[in-house]
Amino acid sequence: MYDLVIIGGGPAGVAAGVYAARKKIKALVIAENFGGQSVVSAGIENWIGAKSLSGFDFARNLEEHLRAQEDLEIMDGDRVVRVQKNANYFLIATAQGKTIETKTIFVGSGSRRRTLGIPGEKEFNGKGVAYCATCDAPIFKNKDVAVVGGGNAGLESVRDLIPYASKIYLLNRSAELKGDALTQEKIRASEKVEIILNAVTKEIYGDNSVSGFKYTDTKTGAEKDLAVSGVFVEIGSLPNTDFLKGIVELNNFGEMIIDHKTQSSSIPGIWGAGDVTDVLYKQNNISAGDAIKAVLNINDYLHKKK
Amino acid sequence: MKNIKIYSTPTCVYCKMAKEFFKKHNATYTEHNVAEDDAAREEMINKTHQLGVPVIDIDGEVFVGFNRSELEKALGVK
Repeated sequence: MYDLVIIGGGPAGVAAGVYAARKKIKALVIAENFGGQSVVSAGIENWIGAKSLSGFDFARNLEEHLRAQEDLEIMDGDRVVRVQKNANYFLIATAQGKTIETKTIFVGSGSRRRTLGIPGEKEFNGKGVAYCATCDAPIFKNKDVAVVGGGNAGLESVRDLIPYASKIYLLNRSAELKGDALTQEKIRASEKVEIILNAVTKEIYGDNSVSGFKYTDTKTGAEKDLAVSGVFVEIGSLPNTDFLKGIVELNNFGEMIIDHKTQSSSIPGIWGAGDVTDVLYKQNNISAGDAIKAVLNINDYLHKKK
Repeated sequence: MKNIKIYSTPTCVYCKMAKEFFKKHNATYTEHNVAEDDAAREEMINKTHQLGVPVIDIDGEVFVGFNRSELEKALGVK
């Protein structure tokens, strides 16, 4: 029986692990991988204490810091699929069939990309449908592409594609782009970029790889068709709370509802921090800080129970 | 000795992870930077229809993305 099981290997999970080890809590970290969603970032310039580092180095630093802790157990490459509440402990089941008993749980499982869920998206994944412009932009050299999503991630994808693609359509569901004004300015300055507002993507098609997509203009109701070789999808994220359904209270977005003073969930014994929660700002630094708040509160809780 | 080819871009994290993985297992590989090398890019697209990196070719078997357990199997390590 563990005192604490920490779920996740992003900034929240790693911060929780480091503090749990320093508080001598008998803890286990379960992480599918390390670094969280920033791992694909070409450069992180707002992680306090580091002027600039790549997502790769960010992930490696987190993993090394976690592994440097004495007496902290780490189970990597596995994922939590179920949490069950018993009289005074929890039972955790993992994808690889392990069961673990623990007194408390810290959830730092983060979020995953939202997908369009339209015909062609799965079939052409990697064959024109792409989710990482930083990685794949050069492959679309002299090709026409589309980016779906007008938030910051969408705008940054357009920016990454400008040096390579010959034409970039940016599709936005509503009448206004949500991303930072400064990035908007930069991409509007490029002749390659065409912004299409009020557009809902309907279908991606092709042969061996993507050759085009269909969308609806919601203002006129007209169905339209564009020929492109690539569709980059950047439409936000979904919290990883599937294993918590029916256990703790979630909001309409599926995020864990937490007490922002202590990071505790709706039931005693489960805490959370970072993108998986209903925290207003999804940021690496905030995830780490909130995770520490959680572990300090978990430490108090465990001492009171003794 | 296995013949390993990796098609990559300099900004792709999963390419870096794959290369570190091969180094860790002392597996030599040839790298093709498809951001610069137009011929390699065409070869990758035509051979695999993949428009995302990394694409890894181990003795003719093609792997897309970095999946550690799949590559461990292909190399016969763990």
